[in-house]
Amino acid sequence: MYPIKLLHTSTTGTLMALRTILEFPDLRLRTIATPVTDFGSSLEALIDDMLETMYSAGGIGLAATQIDVHQRILVIDVSEDRNTPQVFVNPTFTISDQENLDYDEGCLSIPGFYETISRPKTVVIHSQDQHGKHFHLEANGILAVCIQHEIDHLDGKLMVDYISRLKRDRIRSKLEKKQKAL
Amino acid sequence: MQKTLNSRATAALILADLLNSKGSLSTALIKLRDRSDFPLIQELSFGCCRWYWLIQSQLEQFLNHPLRNKDRDIRCLLMIGIYQIREMGVADYAIINETVEAARELNKPWATGLVNGVLRAYLRDETLNSSKNKECPNTHPEWLSRLIKNQWPAQAITVLNANNLRPPMTLRINTQKISRMNYLNLLKKQNLAGSFGRTETAIILDAPCRVDVLPNFKEGFVSIQDEASQYVPGILDLKPKQYVLDACAAPGGKTCHMLEHEPTLKVTAIDVNSSRMQRLTDNLDRQNLSAKTIVADVKDTKKWWNEQHFDRILLDAPCSGTGVIRRHPDIKVLRTYDEVLSSVEIQKNLLKNLWKCLRPGGLFLYTTCSILREENETQIANFLKSTDTAKCESIKINWGVECEYGRQFLPDVSKSGHNPDGFFFSLLRKI
Repeated sequence: MYPIKLLHTSTTGTLMALRTILEFPDLRLRTIATPVTDFGSSLEALIDDMLETMYSAGGIGLAATQIDVHQRILVIDVSEDRNTPQVFVNPTFTISDQENLDYDEGCLSIPGFYETISRPKTVVIHSQDQHGKHFHLEANGILAVCIQHEIDHLDGKLMVDYISRLKRDRIRSKLEKKQKAL
Repeated sequence: MQKTLNSRATAALILADLLNSKGSLSTALIKLRDRSDFPLIQELSFGCCRWYWLIQSQLEQFLNHPLRNKDRDIRCLLMIGIYQIREMGVADYAIINETVEAARELNKPWATGLVNGVLRAYLRDETLNSSKNKECPNTHPEWLSRLIKNQWPAQAITVLNANNLRPPMTLRINTQKISRMNYLNLLKKQNLAGSFGRTETAIILDAPCRVDVLPNFKEGFVSIQDEASQYVPGILDLKPKQYVLDACAAPGGKTCHMLEHEPTLKVTAIDVNSSRMQRLTDNLDRQNLSAKTIVADVKDTKKWWNEQHFDRILLDAPCSGTGVIRRHPDIKVLRTYDEVLSSVEIQKNLLKNLWKCLRPGGLFLYTTCSILREENETQIANFLKSTDTAKCESIKINWGVECEYGRQFLPDVSKSGHNPDGFFFSLLRKI
């Protein structure tokens, strides 16, 4: 299924904007994000932008780090119909099952590459929503993989950190070549 | 995180990896089990292997020059496109759209025109489409079809055609826990239909289903096992409390079956692969059975054998798998005759080294899922020549071709589902 561009109405009435997604090996992706303390209207606007950016890029998850905002915020939508956005502010997780899941992960910051990465299959998420309310959620399968992938972004970590140096360097040089051409 | 690749692109990458000789199709698919489009990916990759040689020769007619090696994924994608047109009842425009989209997702936008062009040209070519129900001559690699024709002249056409069919899903009922009739009734309640096989434990399902919908699977009432393997305990003539070696045991289908058949047996199960051995242990646990399990190279008897002779030995030897092509169609794509010869060498060593572990008067059952004489009859004939303590016993069962040194099951095209895998049995007694 090709991503369908959805129209979102902003909750704050401000104009939404598509943000630019940083691409590997941009060093800004290595920044460690700081916790969110202000749950005001500027946070809601940012989340709207993140959702818009994620949907338009055909992603299933986006971390604020990827649009060069270094706060601990994620948006995720793993649904088939792409109509179930989830927002996580200051998320952390604990592993609830030692069993691992191998998944071919792709990343909006590393476009066009997929690598098999093994992560815990079931995790419990501790997070706040966009209003600052705390919640817990047990996630498994694709949602668990996606949340762990996005929390990695907030810690300056990328999926290429899990694969061999040889593969990482190959991806780096291919992307650099592409970025130079643009 | 980016969306996962679409089903066609994923299947194309699996095939490309396979052609790059990285493992087997079933292991490549294991890690995708949790995906919602898993059945489609499985259908595309299995189907493409099943018809690989035919589709490949047809594809060549549409390519002006061959694709570069680094574009193997695009060649696989084209083959998947052709497979869908030939074998799957999907609307043509949908096949073309999705397959073109897959080329884009594979990061090769230059190939979208090629995919579109080739698939449309294929659709226009009536002669190729209409040939799909006729007998297809080139569905096997040349060396394999030649061997089959030479070794089984009377059955060759049937065997080659049977290798292109989908296998039945066959169950083994643990008759210690439930009768076959009662289990068939349990299946009926789940709207699953099946019929009795020729062995006392087999039920053949009319249509395959997921394992987790089988009634009382977790309680060990039932296992998945082809009917050919279910002949093993009967042929081995197992008696209470006998000391039995299962030499290449994992994943343990036959180990469990022997114990279900005769629960007082003392079975030693050995396999060299520790992760497959884990599956054997899981299977034993599920059925509440116990056996001594050892992870070791079984031909290295010094490492594991305590000099106590076995009453029965089952050697289900590693082989070319040419009897189970319908279950593992990638064998048709990847297997070479050199690999057959190296299996022959492995089997020879296993026979030689394990023979000393059998007590005089004891029975040794040699089996393979191969239909090639090199691994079967000739192997046993050579072994008998090398020792004077062995004699071949005749096997009296109601299926297969009687050979001089054993019994050969050949794949069959019977629609009723009563067609076990290609399999070879040879029963030897120590004098």
